[in-house]
Amino acid sequence: MSSRPRRKRGAGREAKRAARQQSSAEVAAWIDRRIPYFEVLDEEALELIEHNADTVLEEIGIEFRDFPRALDLWREAGADVDGERVRFPRGMCRSIIQASAPREFTQHARNPARSVRIGGDRTVLVPAYGSPFVRDLDQGRRYAKIEDFQNFVKLAYMSPGLHHSGGTVCEPVDLPVNKRHFDMVYSHIKYSDKPFMGSVTHPERARDTIEMARLVFGDEFVGENTVITSLINANSPLTFDETMLGAATVYAEHNQATVISPFLLAGAMSPVTVAGTVTQILAEALAGMAYVQLVRPGAPVVFGTFAAAVSMQSGAPTFGTPEPSLILYAAAALARRVGVPFRSGGGLCASKIPDAQAAYEAANTLQTSALAGVNFMLHTAGWLEGGLSMSYEKFIMDADQASIIGVMLRGIDLSENGQALDALREVGPGAHFLGAAHTRANFERAFYRSIVADNNSFEQWEQDGSLDAAQRANAIWKRMLNEYEAPALDPAVDEALLDYMTRRKSEFEDRDY
Amino acid sequence: MTDDDLNDETGGEDEEDFVLADLADDELVEQMHDDLYDGLKEEVVEGTEILLNRGWSAEKVLNEALVEGMRIVGVDFRDGILFVPEVLLAANSMKGGMELLRPLLAETGVKPIGKMVIGTVKGDIHDIGKNLVAMMMEGAGFEVVDIGINNDVDAYLAALEEHKPDILGMSALLTTTMPYMKVVIDEMVKQGIRDDYLVLVGGAPLNEEFGQAVGADGYCRDAAQASESAPRYLKKRREAIGA
Repeated sequence: MSSRPRRKRGAGREAKRAARQQSSAEVAAWIDRRIPYFEVLDEEALELIEHNADTVLEEIGIEFRDFPRALDLWREAGADVDGERVRFPRGMCRSIIQASAPREFTQHARNPARSVRIGGDRTVLVPAYGSPFVRDLDQGRRYAKIEDFQNFVKLAYMSPGLHHSGGTVCEPVDLPVNKRHFDMVYSHIKYSDKPFMGSVTHPERARDTIEMARLVFGDEFVGENTVITSLINANSPLTFDETMLGAATVYAEHNQATVISPFLLAGAMSPVTVAGTVTQILAEALAGMAYVQLVRPGAPVVFGTFAAAVSMQSGAPTFGTPEPSLILYAAAALARRVGVPFRSGGGLCASKIPDAQAAYEAANTLQTSALAGVNFMLHTAGWLEGGLSMSYEKFIMDADQASIIGVMLRGIDLSENGQALDALREVGPGAHFLGAAHTRANFERAFYRSIVADNNSFEQWEQDGSLDAAQRANAIWKRMLNEYEAPALDPAVDEALLDYMTRRKSEFEDRDY
Repeated sequence: MTDDDLNDETGGEDEEDFVLADLADDELVEQMHDDLYDGLKEEVVEGTEILLNRGWSAEKVLNEALVEGMRIVGVDFRDGILFVPEVLLAANSMKGGMELLRPLLAETGVKPIGKMVIGTVKGDIHDIGKNLVAMMMEGAGFEVVDIGINNDVDAYLAALEEHKPDILGMSALLTTTMPYMKVVIDEMVKQGIRDDYLVLVGGAPLNEEFGQAVGADGYCRDAAQASESAPRYLKKRREAIGA
């Protein structure tokens, strides 16, 4: 036996323990899709919906409320403006969009490695948005505070399956309504280096968002590039309001991206049928996106869709049901035909706690969104109770699912290694593959390893405390927050941001509207 | 995966060339724990040789270097840190060291850790779990006689007669084959040899209660737990019969 020289022992066991307790998910800036889209409508059916949407735009029209500038722009463009109602010649909105809106665009992050490409065969997964409440196993349901907001920014930053920091990851109701946007934007910049969404609740707050982005990226860079993507909801049915139009206009003027999202609770805000709802979605999205192109041709726009069904028994929104899934598949196909990126989906559910209902409903909408070809998947992680509550435990469970979507959409490896004929030859009939050379070379990354699921024997599970998924997720988010380290931020930039916030906050009184 | 790949993985910032034989005893033992952990059979065999050349008894090498190293592997397997292919490599490395030690242990009359006959029961050809248990038991220092699949009562009794093990292990994957364990144990009782052996049973559809119902001494839920608990069962048994 030779006493050959070899390397000094490293921290073999320690290093492995550390590595194996982390998620095995690949860290990528976005998902490159390599599987086909799931289509539910054929060419003829899609043309029928498009024809009907043009009929809605031509006959019924869209209201642009309390925002005269939009009416001026539409009049100039040749639309029929009657009071606040705008009616559009057939095909007008589509041709305005197709003349200038990019098919896909890059939203830059302060860390260039985290910049996302939105559109085409790509999927970007984004945390949930807008909940006034947060919930966890220890303290139950309560109003969100800025500390919760920061926690969710940190958790999204640490989740390899999530590509984006999101926007209003929860509503920090402890801060005055007219000033909380400063702290939200600052938190995204300070505690994460992933791209983020801007404030849309007032044009002035949209401008503050852009000013803060300038302090991070530089005036020139922000002038030429998209660094903010923001959520503009239609006030369905067939209406855009002053607040949303104001914010959309500010972002468009500065070449920043907007997600124009019809927000439909079918049965209440749209017809009770799938085809009728999809028609309305297309009409609203076309009008909103075309308006953005009139403000600034070439400003990035995303075709958004948020559709749920209303319970005809109670009027409450329902989630994870089949009809909104069909709506989503159809809307995704229609967005591809317009030639713009598509936003929808997420881990939607109506359940109050991260239980079986939450998991089933969220899995249904996550799968649908992934297969449909959503490019910007808002609400991927954390959503409970129809969006009223952001759950720490569900966030962890959903972020795990987000990583699974990444593996799924990348499709099947058909390389020589993927074909694995060597392994089949080596093992042959009747033996096992666990010790095969091919297995040893591939096992670590071969199968997705969930950070939440327990696959142990009954006895081991019992020994570990008989924990359910939510209890395991509870331990995971606590460990993550405990281990969190902020990404480096230039102290001069940090100081400039804090100065800007202090100065702006002192310029006007706190208000809760 | 070659040994060199594994070395690369474990090399840290403080890596430097060294020779196993240059290490002091305690450093070498620690190194062997790491080498077992990393599944480096050649290095484990070499370390075993070096310690023997330095005058260590086979028993001391077995207990302090190999068994302790595999105990760490077992803990990390149970905790989901080490994966099955890695544990197989570790157990195989242990086996390499044991091959050197076994004749020496026999010569000096040291009682071996134990010997096991293991096989799947009649009607059941599902042997991956049984194979894993056999590997882990070897990794824990046991001598394992694997009598394969589809064993009827006669096959088990013949193997007990021939190999004189301490432990009989029976495995089944199917709910339709697991009752056969009781057939084997009943026959052992009938022949008056039941208490000559520790009987351990395992397989996915079993549980603790089933193990007791068929008259086994213990139920092992997985390979790691089998190799961890078998020495304990055996010690208790040996104490009980005053051996």
